[in-house]
Amino acid sequence: MYYLRYMAGAKVPLSERNDMKRYDLIVVGAGPSGLSAAIEASKRGVKTIVFDENARPGGQLFKQIHKFFGSKEHKAKIRGFVIGQQLLDEAGKAGVEVVLNATVIGLYQDKEIVVKTGDTVHHYKGDSIIIATGASENMVTFDGWTLPGVIGAGAAQTLMNLHGIKPGKRVLMLGSGNVGLVVSFQLMQAGCEVAALVDAAPEIGGYGVHAAKVARTGVPFYLSHTIVKAEGTDHVTGVTIAAVDDHFRFIPGTEKHFDVDTICVAVGLSPMSQLLKMAGCRMSDDPKRSGQVPIIDGHGETSIPGLFAAGDVSGIEEASSAMIEGRQAGIYAAEFLGFISKTEMDNGEEKLDAALDGLRQGMFAPKNRGKNIEKTEEGIDISRNLLCRGFIGDDEIERFPGVTHKAGVHPVIECTQNIPCNPCQDACAMHCIMVGKVITALPAVDPSLKCADCGMCVASCSGQAIFLVNEDCGDGTATVTLPYEFLPVPDEGTRGRALGRNGQEVCDAEVVKIRTSPAYDHTTLLTMSVPKEFAMKARFFKANA
Amino acid sequence: MISYKADVIIIGGGIIGCATAYYLAKNNISVTVLEASDYIGNGGSSRNGGGVRQSGRDPRELPLVMYGIRNLWPHLSEEIGVDTEYHQDGNLRLGKNVHHREILQGLTDRANKVGLDVRMIDGDEVRKIIPYLSDEVTVASWCPTDGHANPLTTTLGYYKTARKLGARFYTGVKVMELRKVKGELRRVLTDDGSVFEADQIMVAAGYESRKLLGSVGIDVPMTRSLLEALVTEAEPHLFDQMLGTADADFYGHQTKHGSFVFGGSSGFEGFNKDNCTPMTSSITAPAICRGIMKYFPDLADAKIVRTWAGWSDKSADGVPVLGRVEEVPGLIVACAFTGHGFGIAPAIGDQMAKLIMSGTTDIDISALHYDRFKAKI
Amino acid sequence: MNTLSDRSRDIGEFVSQPGDEMIICRCEEITKGEIRRAVHEGMFTMTEIRRYLRAGMGLCQGQTCSKLVKGIVARELKVSPADLEPATSRVPMRPIEMKVFANENEDEDE
Repeated sequence: MYYLRYMAGAKVPLSERNDMKRYDLIVVGAGPSGLSAAIEASKRGVKTIVFDENARPGGQLFKQIHKFFGSKEHKAKIRGFVIGQQLLDEAGKAGVEVVLNATVIGLYQDKEIVVKTGDTVHHYKGDSIIIATGASENMVTFDGWTLPGVIGAGAAQTLMNLHGIKPGKRVLMLGSGNVGLVVSFQLMQAGCEVAALVDAAPEIGGYGVHAAKVARTGVPFYLSHTIVKAEGTDHVTGVTIAAVDDHFRFIPGTEKHFDVDTICVAVGLSPMSQLLKMAGCRMSDDPKRSGQVPIIDGHGETSIPGLFAAGDVSGIEEASSAMIEGRQAGIYAAEFLGFISKTEMDNGEEKLDAALDGLRQGMFAPKNRGKNIEKTEEGIDISRNLLCRGFIGDDEIERFPGVTHKAGVHPVIECTQNIPCNPCQDACAMHCIMVGKVITALPAVDPSLKCADCGMCVASCSGQAIFLVNEDCGDGTATVTLPYEFLPVPDEGTRGRALGRNGQEVCDAEVVKIRTSPAYDHTTLLTMSVPKEFAMKARFFKANA
Repeated sequence: MISYKADVIIIGGGIIGCATAYYLAKNNISVTVLEASDYIGNGGSSRNGGGVRQSGRDPRELPLVMYGIRNLWPHLSEEIGVDTEYHQDGNLRLGKNVHHREILQGLTDRANKVGLDVRMIDGDEVRKIIPYLSDEVTVASWCPTDGHANPLTTTLGYYKTARKLGARFYTGVKVMELRKVKGELRRVLTDDGSVFEADQIMVAAGYESRKLLGSVGIDVPMTRSLLEALVTEAEPHLFDQMLGTADADFYGHQTKHGSFVFGGSSGFEGFNKDNCTPMTSSITAPAICRGIMKYFPDLADAKIVRTWAGWSDKSADGVPVLGRVEEVPGLIVACAFTGHGFGIAPAIGDQMAKLIMSGTTDIDISALHYDRFKAKI
Repeated sequence: MNTLSDRSRDIGEFVSQPGDEMIICRCEEITKGEIRRAVHEGMFTMTEIRRYLRAGMGLCQGQTCSKLVKGIVARELKVSPADLEPATSRVPMRPIEMKVFANENEDEDE
């Protein structure tokens, strides 16, 4: 790999070492924003070097095995680690130098850094520096929180998705933000049982579709609950939760106990801004950005000229926005260093600004954080069940434009919150599915158009919220095709039970078709046959024991 | 904006100010301490290496520090309700060659002359005290009555107990000017326009003392240099002594917690610049590490968890300026401790309190008088 | 950002609470009760709490506990956590062996 010229301990000729000491741009952190910054700067001729303390580049990206949201330019429906690989390839082509196992232990005055690689430390100076060190997980305390077995959800994700190790056998997840929801699903994919998903808040913090795909497998959600005590002497053996009132005090008599060996804590992230702090940047403690962040101008420049910050370190959002911010930072640094003109800079960032803006819309936009949103942008009442229990009520589902009825197979789209996302629209060759120019709009299905039952919509929905339903096959049965991302995949003919949106068994079911395709990108399409009265209820399949 | 009157105002919330406030409050004197930063003890008080020593001191300050070690340090923890972690297990200054031996011999002779027990010992005797020292150590000066303590808890312990006894502390108050009223120093003016008034005012504000004293026509010739230190993670207990070297490569001790606190120098201390945090320089900590490993090869794998820097306020002749300023009645000065104000702080606090309350001290401090600075010819 | 703080202002008495025995700083094993009590002894800032108790001085240098400590101190002082000064960050970002820190490899190959 061309760009990974220096691994820890590699021998380097003396002549090369001497001109390595000072760089146009030093980037700290080879995650999505750091790499993106290095790519844009390198493309403009800036001599760039990236340092990362990990053994692999990509930051949190390679742990994300789910498909991303957004639009095509945001790499929607592509799995996180694939986006990571694409980023690495782009970095390679741009000639970006990445040094791994390299810990930046200090950011000193005059834009000097000291880096530890192996058994030595090295001094580097940058004419400009971009800090893209990301974030670290928050902790919450409860009786027993220091027992082995209590781990961050991100840590569990690292164990599973990078190292192939199950964090435990039976897990309780604390936290219903996107991290808690997504990692719960991934725990199940890794073969762990998720006993419950708990959050002290009265409403789920993450996307409804993430919650729904967990709830339909049978995981119970306990909102307005939190952990009373983690039990065990030298490791977790069980946990007790209880309901809380408006002041987060436990309500006596509401205790529930679970036998678990692992408690995952997903209570938010805080920027890892220590390097910026020690360098003397003006900082602010901003709850909207989730912690100590540098005060930056519109170009990501801190109070120290030539020192920039990009990605989660400047405010917690997600990978898609981190990558765009990183690209912008690279362009700003190039202008600061005089490699491009101001006009070139403005041209370069215009598209990126629009892309970033596109992501920062909808129900979960940073500007809408903390707001009580009761209706969608279309004026439809948001599913209260979804917010409070993790699944859409059977009596609520008909409200939404993605849910229509007709004879024969047709898509049923259970996407009910405004999120910037539209791969479903492009997936349908028959143009059955419409999102429109404003990509936060709820997808609508046009029942007058024919559905080809190609399954592309089911596979393309990153939220796993699209089903293909034939409500009446003529013989008293209906079929429901759902996205299935677990192993083992049941064989055709397997009998079992269908689960409703709430994860409860609703009826008998039999797997009648299993479809896989490279185009589905590892999402299997499972078609089950159910009694026809359950066509709009049955949403998951569980084989008989 | 406040308008406020007290018996005594102390400018400076470091250990000198807090200790003096404690000894005054203990005797029911109403005292107010004004600290410019947001933190008590944020200057040298919390940044020094924790040495409580007599050896190596100028004879002019020796009686004070010996008084403190004899009368105040031994029971200080109980008195101020914190664990000061005071250990009196001796001080070793290490040497490896003939040149070092000369330096250490000079130090020993000067100490003996003023009645302080310091002796020269050879390498084998050194390793009997601390077996982990390098074989290259051939000589050391040994002062059995020196020791070390925890500057953070000691400073905050004085603060906490003074506060409990009624001393008032204000942080975030920057004093801009001292003002006489009818010939006597009575007023203190701050940056937000407040005026504090008192019968006696003590200036113990470190380097900032100079500017402040200038406002009433007093100059303390001071400069300052930026020193650095580092601390390791907790290690198994190795030794209790305070350590230093003839070459001043490093100094330090092992704390109760098990971590090692070491200071040292790159040689550029007089020139280091700061971004106001105070900020360490990229070349100093590595130099300190090399200095330590020359004597302690066993510590090579100890992990350093933090480095920091602090300004040392250096007087022109290496010892502090202390006592009354006769030409400004009501003014007492205690500053310019030149990097060794910690060990002597309890004695300073105790004696300055006595000076404020009774007009005299038990120990003769005339050699540290403010107007001792004369031209060389 | 120095704002006047009267260290004798009334912040109420220290009252024992259930949960005071919970460990907050895992590295140094400092409990919630110790932190709360320290506030009432006059430690009104994150920096003073750290120097007084060692909370945040362990191996992780406060990465795990500082948000938790801040919340506890803020509640005791009846202020918002955002009003408390952030604790300072210093070199090294991660613990580093003395022999490695000493090894400034300027001219040699490894």
